[in-house]
Amino acid sequence: MSQAASPSTGHAFLATLKRDLVIAYKRKNDMLNPFMFFLIVATLFPIGITPDPERLGEISAGVLWISALLASLLAMDNLYRSDYEDGSLEQLLLCPYPLYYLVLAKNLAHWLVSGLPVVLVSPLIAYMLNLPQEAYLTLFLTLLMGTPVLSLLGSIGVALTVGLGSRGLILAVITLPMSVPVLIAGTLAVQQTLNGAPLLAYLAIMGAMLLTALTLAPLASAAALRISVN
Amino acid sequence: MNWTWFHKLGSPKWFYELTSKWLPWLIGAMVIFLAVGVVWALLYIPPDYQQSYTTRILVIHVAVAGTSLAFFPLMAVAGTITLVWRMKLADMVAKNAAPLGAWFSFITLATGSLWGSVMWGTWWEWSDARLVSMLFQFFLLVGVVALRSALEDNDTAARACALLSIVGCINVVIIKYSVEWWNVLHQPSSPLSMSGESANGPEFWVPTVVMIVAVYLFFAVSLILATRNEILQRERKAAWVQELVSKA
Amino acid sequence: MSEAITDKYDHKHNDRIMLTAAELFCERDDRVLFANLNLQLQEGQVLQIKGSNGSGKTTLLRILCGINDSYEGDILWYGNPRDKQAEQFLGSLLYIGHRVGVNKVLTPLENLRWSASLQRDVSDAELMTALSRVGLRGFEYSQCFSLSAGQQQRVSLARLLVTGARLWVLDEPFTTLDVSGVALLESMLADHANSGGAVLVTTHHTLSVPDLRILNLDANREERL
Repeated sequence: MSQAASPSTGHAFLATLKRDLVIAYKRKNDMLNPFMFFLIVATLFPIGITPDPERLGEISAGVLWISALLASLLAMDNLYRSDYEDGSLEQLLLCPYPLYYLVLAKNLAHWLVSGLPVVLVSPLIAYMLNLPQEAYLTLFLTLLMGTPVLSLLGSIGVALTVGLGSRGLILAVITLPMSVPVLIAGTLAVQQTLNGAPLLAYLAIMGAMLLTALTLAPLASAAALRISVN
Repeated sequence: MNWTWFHKLGSPKWFYELTSKWLPWLIGAMVIFLAVGVVWALLYIPPDYQQSYTTRILVIHVAVAGTSLAFFPLMAVAGTITLVWRMKLADMVAKNAAPLGAWFSFITLATGSLWGSVMWGTWWEWSDARLVSMLFQFFLLVGVVALRSALEDNDTAARACALLSIVGCINVVIIKYSVEWWNVLHQPSSPLSMSGESANGPEFWVPTVVMIVAVYLFFAVSLILATRNEILQRERKAAWVQELVSKA
Repeated sequence: MSEAITDKYDHKHNDRIMLTAAELFCERDDRVLFANLNLQLQEGQVLQIKGSNGSGKTTLLRILCGINDSYEGDILWYGNPRDKQAEQFLGSLLYIGHRVGVNKVLTPLENLRWSASLQRDVSDAELMTALSRVGLRGFEYSQCFSLSAGQQQRVSLARLLVTGARLWVLDEPFTTLDVSGVALLESMLADHANSGGAVLVTTHHTLSVPDLRILNLDANREERL
C-alpha cells in the first residue's frame, strides 16, 4: 500500500465504482427495496406507539436512526454475494492493486445507492414525525456522516459471512451490536443540539468515527474476503 | 531472542502434557479459593450500612464481571496469533473462550440485575452504563459463537472468528466509552452506582480479592479443560493421542 | 521464431522458469490432498493438470494463484518467493476459475471492461476486437443472463486476449464450450505459448497443443508426453 493511488489504482477504483453503480442501476429493485423499507419502518412507529405529535417529536431522531440502521443492514446482503457466486470476487482478490481501494470503491458504490437516498429523504420523514425544526440540520448532517460508517462496518460482517449458503440472521447478530456507537453519537447529537449544545462538537465526533472507519474497516473487509474465498 | 518457547507453545502435545502436570494444582487452588471466597462472601460479610446484605452478591458480581472483561483481549491476542502465525493451539483456546466469555457475561448480567432488584427495586436499569455495555459485550460474544458454528470448514472458521474477535475487541472499547457518554448526557434521574462507595472497607475488599482470584482460577481451569478436549478431538489421528487413548 | 525459442526451453534455461512449486503439501479435513508435490513451469509451456474427481486440481490451481493459502511448501516466481513480489506476480497472472467471473446483469462489454481495468488500461476498440475474436460479435450489448453458458464462458476467454497476462491459470475452461469454442481456445493456448507465455490448465479433455506437458495428481508425478 506504499504507492497509494498510483494512476492505475485510481483507474481500477473508478472502474469498480462505475461497474457497481451500473449493476445497481440495472437492478433497480435492489436499489429501491431498502429505501422503501426505510420509509415503511419509519412510518410504522407512529402507528405502533402514538400519533401524539409531542411524543413523536421526542422519539423521532431515534426512529430515523434505527430505521436507517435496519435499511442499511437489509441492503448489505447484496454487497459481495453476487460477486462471490459468479467468481468476480476472485478477480478482485487477484488484482495487482491494493484490495483496500477496491473494497472502498464497492462500499462507496453501495452507500451511494442505498445509504444516500435514505439520508436525502430523512428530512421528509423527520417532518412527518414532528422532529423539532432546530434539529433538522443536525439530523441530516449526522446521517450523512454516519450512514457511510454503517456501510463500512456492515461490509466486514458481509465479507465474513459471504461464503455461507444460508446466512439467515447471523449478519444481523454480528453487525448490529457493532453499530451501537454510531447510533449513540447520531441520536445524542440531535438531542443535545436541541438542548443548545454546539453542533460542531458532534460533527467532529461523527467525523472522527467516519475517518476511523474509512481507514480501518476496508482493511478488515479485505482480510475477511480473503478468508471467505480461501 | 530465543523463540523456541514460542514454537513449543504452538504444539498441542506440549500444551496437553504441560497442563496435565498443572491441572491438579490449579484445580486444588481453585477449590480452596472458591470455597473460602463463596462462604466468606455469602455468609460472613457484615451488612453494609447502606446496602445491607446485598454487598454479598456484589462480591461475586464484581469478580465475575472483572474476569469477563478479559475475554475479548484474550480472544484478540489468540486471533492475532492465529492469523499471523497459523498456530492451531491459539485457535483451540479462542474457540472455547468465546462461549465461556458469553456465559461469564451472562452471569455478570444476572448477578447485576439480582443486586439491582434489591438495591434499585428493578431488575434492569438502563442508567447503569456498565450493565448496558456488558449487554453489548454479551451480544458480540454470541456473534462470535454464532459465526463459528455457521462456518463448517475448521480453517475458515478459525480465521474468520479470529478477525471478528479483533474487530470485536476494538468495538467493545468504543462501545464502553460511547455508552458511558450516552449515560452521562441522559442524566439518570437518581445517581445510581454499582461501585458501592460505602462498601469499601477491608471486610469487603479482602473477600472480593479472594473471589476474583477464585473466579480467574475457575476461568483458567475451564478454558484448559475445554482446550484439552479440543486437542484430543482435532489431533485424534496423531500417534500420541492414540497411544494416550489406548492406555486409558 | 517459435521453433528457435521452444528449442531453447528444452535446454534448461533457468531464467525461463516462470513458476516453481516445491514440496507442496495440502490437507483438507484431515485428508491429505497432495504431499511432496513439485512442479515447474517455463515460459512457452502448457501444463495440463489431470486427476480424478476430488484429487485437488482446483485446490492446486488456487494455491498456485494465491487465493488459497492453506498449504505448506514454497512457491517461486522467477526464482524468488511469490509472496515477496505479489504485485509483479499478480500483474502477470490471469485466473479463470470454475465460476468464470461474468456478472449476469452486465453486458459482455461491461464485464470485459471491468476485468481488464483490474490489470491495465484497455481501450474499448481493443475490447470489441477481443469479443469478436471469441465469437461474440453482435452480443456486445446484450445482458449476460440472455447468453448461453458457453457464450458466458467465451466472455471470460476474451479476458485472455486483453489483459496481457503472461501466466494463464484456467480451471476446466472447456466444459461448456462447443466444438468451435474448443478449437478456438486450443489455438489461443498455442499462440500464447508460442509468444513466450505459460499456461496451467485442468481439464479431462485431450488437448491438442504442441509441447504439452501433463501432471497427473493421481500418480503425483510429472510425466513428459
